[in-house]
Amino acid sequence: MSLTITCPICGKRDGYEFRFGGEDKGPRPEEDGLTPQRWCEYVHLNECVAGVQKEWWVHKDGCGSWFTIHRDSVMNVEVATLEAHK
Amino acid sequence: MVEIKRYSPVAFKASPKRTEVRDNWTVVLEYDGEGQAAFGQSSVNDNYLVDLSHITRFDVQSSNLDSITPFGIKIPQGLCESYLQDGVLINRMNRIQASVFCLPNKKNEMLTECKCDADCKCDPQNSSSYTETTEVGMCMAIIGKNVFSITEKLTSLDFMDSAKTTPFLYQAPMSHIPCQIITLSRDSAKSGIIFTASRGYGKDMVHAIMDAGEEFGLKPAGEDKFKSWLNNL
Repeated sequence: MSLTITCPICGKRDGYEFRFGGEDKGPRPEEDGLTPQRWCEYVHLNECVAGVQKEWWVHKDGCGSWFTIHRDSVMNVEVATLEAHK
Repeated sequence: MVEIKRYSPVAFKASPKRTEVRDNWTVVLEYDGEGQAAFGQSSVNDNYLVDLSHITRFDVQSSNLDSITPFGIKIPQGLCESYLQDGVLINRMNRIQASVFCLPNKKNEMLTECKCDADCKCDPQNSSSYTETTEVGMCMAIIGKNVFSITEKLTSLDFMDSAKTTPFLYQAPMSHIPCQIITLSRDSAKSGIIFTASRGYGKDMVHAIMDAGEEFGLKPAGEDKFKSWLNNL
C-alpha cells in the first residue's frame, strides 16, 4: 500500500491528500547574534536522513492543519512516535 | 434599488419543472422526469443528486467555540463530529472552527427565544465570529439506496466506518476536489450525504458524479425531493 499519514484531526488518510513541509529543524534560531550564514544553514540545509526522520506535513486536501510525523524515508512509511525514538 | 441575482455554480442537464425565487436565488423545486412522489414512495431504488448551493452557510471561528451557540444550538465538541437539529447542521472542523448549514427545512423562529445582548453570539448576523460562505462554494446532496456505491467510485473514504456515528464530517477529496462531506444517514434506502467544495468546481463535480451514478440510475432532483428525504430521516 502507498504512503498513509495520520492527521491529528482527520485520522489516517491517503498520502496524496498531504503536502510535504520539509524536515523538522526545531525552533528558528535566536535573532540575537544571528549571522547570515547560520540563517542560511537553518533555511536551506537538510539532514536527509536515510531512516526515521521528523517531518512537517500539511493536510492540503482535508482540514488544512500543519503537523509533524516520523517517517522512515527508506521504506516511505509513517512510523509511530514511540518507535521513532527507539 | 438595484435588484441582484445570485447564480448557482451547479447546472444539471435537465429541465426545471417548478422553480421559486428565494433571496435572489432561482431555486429549482422539481425537475422534469424526477416524479412528484415524496422520497422513497415511488421506488426504493431512487438515487438523486440535489443542488443545495443556495442554502445559507456560515463558518464560525473562535478560540472559545464552546461559548458560541449558532441559532441556539451547541457546537459538537469532538473533531469531525456533526450535529443536526431543527434543520441546522453544525460540523466541527477543528479546535477553533465549525461550519453551519441552514438546511431547507430549518425552522426560522429559533432565535425568538434568544436572550442575548446586542453582541449576540447565537446570531450569525450580529457576531464577528461568523463568516457567510454561501456564495464562495457549491453544495450538493446525494440521496438514495446506492449513495455509497457511487461515492466508492469517486473517493477512497470509508463512509461505512463503524467507529463513526451519523452525522459525521469528512474533510477530504472527492473526485480529487477538497470537500467537506457530511454523512447524514447510512440507513439503506434513506442513505444520504451532503457536501461542499469551492464554487469553481461545481460543473465538473456534477459531470463526475452523474457519470459515476449512471449505472445506479442517478437523477437530478429539486429541493422538494431533498426536503421529503430529510423529513423522513
